Amino acid sequence: MKIFTSIVAAILACFCVASTTFAATPLQLVSDVFVERQVVKPDGSKTVILEKPNLVTPGDNLVFVVRYKNVGGATASNFVVTNPLPAAVAFDGTSDGLETVSVDGGKSWGFLGTLRVTKPDGTLRPALRSDVTHIKWNLNQTLTAGAEGKLIFRGIVK
Amino acid sequence: MTRNPFNAGGVPALGTLRITFPLMTAALLTAAISAPAMAAGTIAGTDIENIASATYDSAGGPVTIQSNTLVIKVDELLDVTVLSTDPGDVITSPGATANVQTFQITNNGNGGEEFSLTANVASGGDDFDPTLVEIVIDTNDNGVYDPGVDDIYVSGSSNPALVLAPDQQQVVFVITATPAGVSNANRASVGLTAAALTGTGAPGTSFAGAGQGGGNAVVGTTGADSTDNGFLAVQAASVSLLKSATIVDPFNGNRPVPGAVVTYSIVATVSGSGALNNLVITDPIPAGTQYQAGSITLEAGALTDATDADAGNYNGTRISVAAGNVPAGQTRTVTFKVLIP
Repeated sequence: MKIFTSIVAAILACFCVASTTFAATPLQLVSDVFVERQVVKPDGSKTVILEKPNLVTPGDNLVFVVRYKNVGGATASNFVVTNPLPAAVAFDGTSDGLETVSVDGGKSWGFLGTLRVTKPDGTLRPALRSDVTHIKWNLNQTLTAGAEGKLIFRGIVK
Repeated sequence: MTRNPFNAGGVPALGTLRITFPLMTAALLTAAISAPAMAAGTIAGTDIENIASATYDSAGGPVTIQSNTLVIKVDELLDVTVLSTDPGDVITSPGATANVQTFQITNNGNGGEEFSLTANVASGGDDFDPTLVEIVIDTNDNGVYDPGVDDIYVSGSSNPALVLAPDQQQVVFVITATPAGVSNANRASVGLTAAALTGTGAPGTSFAGAGQGGGNAVVGTTGADSTDNGFLAVQAASVSLLKSATIVDPFNGNRPVPGAVVTYSIVATVSGSGALNNLVITDPIPAGTQYQAGSITLEAGALTDATDADAGNYNGTRISVAAGNVPAGQTRTVTFKVLIP
């Protein structure tokens, strides 16, 4: 894996230097994750805090934050963000509810309530959050220079 | 013009930006590690890799970009449950040397973990304390205690059979001895505790770097140790004998005169619980009387005097009847006759 990564990095670096086309409208996409922890305050009340994922065990609630920013000088249109769900994470919703999802590995897309999953006996059932494999935001907006935003989704460690 | 896209426009980079073709994106995405889903959860040490990608249209055509690859490692959760799996009280008897109680240990954590065992035979609030003989691991996994086959648990040492994979279960036997002085219906609690060797403590306690797969280990809701109790119940039976005599004299009376025949009746009553095994009732022939040949009965059935297949015999000085195994609450009645010469 390490060798693979470094080869990919080398190829990428090559493209970056050689390709001025892509550099003309660069967007940045940064993925981050936090763990929700319930903590008991000195007065006994409970509160939920987000902390860096130093300890992550099955059942933990994760909050993924994808930040985007147009750091170039040109405008980008038709901005679509796709986030395949890590295999060990079960989807638990987004903060904006504007996402479309895929339950078949990214082949077909739709709002969760409209999707169906084929059961082993061939019949269909409504798709559940636990079936989600990919999340997609079709932002339908033009990102002018300097425009930025963030997309947040939650997942549970399986 | 060649600009560094990682820091274009002089704006500080939010993080690592990589530009690539959709083909490359697909290759990276499929490289994500897939973990088998188990009751215990994702296996400790599994990396959760998250990469977001975006497409947009630029003046130069459609572009696909990718975020940084975010990697977090799933830590090891330390959880265990112990369950007494005997269907009810394990029956013992005074002085019994090998009571077998069965427990099941389940690794509810998400990593391979070894567990130490402790048996507690000195519980308060019960009737007696048995003596711990040994803890035995059902190494051949047949659910039955096989002396000499199953491994004896060694305290303070590694017991390979107790290294359990996530969701794996292991049957363990606690072997105890019952003191001789116990009474019928006495009960004793025997507890077994299993504790994760990595560590135990309040839920949430963590052990840096001690988890399977290079992560940390975190104590789960069970505290990484678990105890369950099983019970021993004493079944002790005792016997009491009641002897009576009926006299028939030659004059149709009931006086002990010469010529009178005395019928002795011995009623053996078994009380308590369980059974008395191989109960033998013997009675000497009273001095000055003559045993009447062939007069022994057991439960009104005639027995021969010879030492043979049937349960009774007369050896010239006493009668003897082997009443066999008699459950508590039952009686056996033996009769024989003598003549007063």
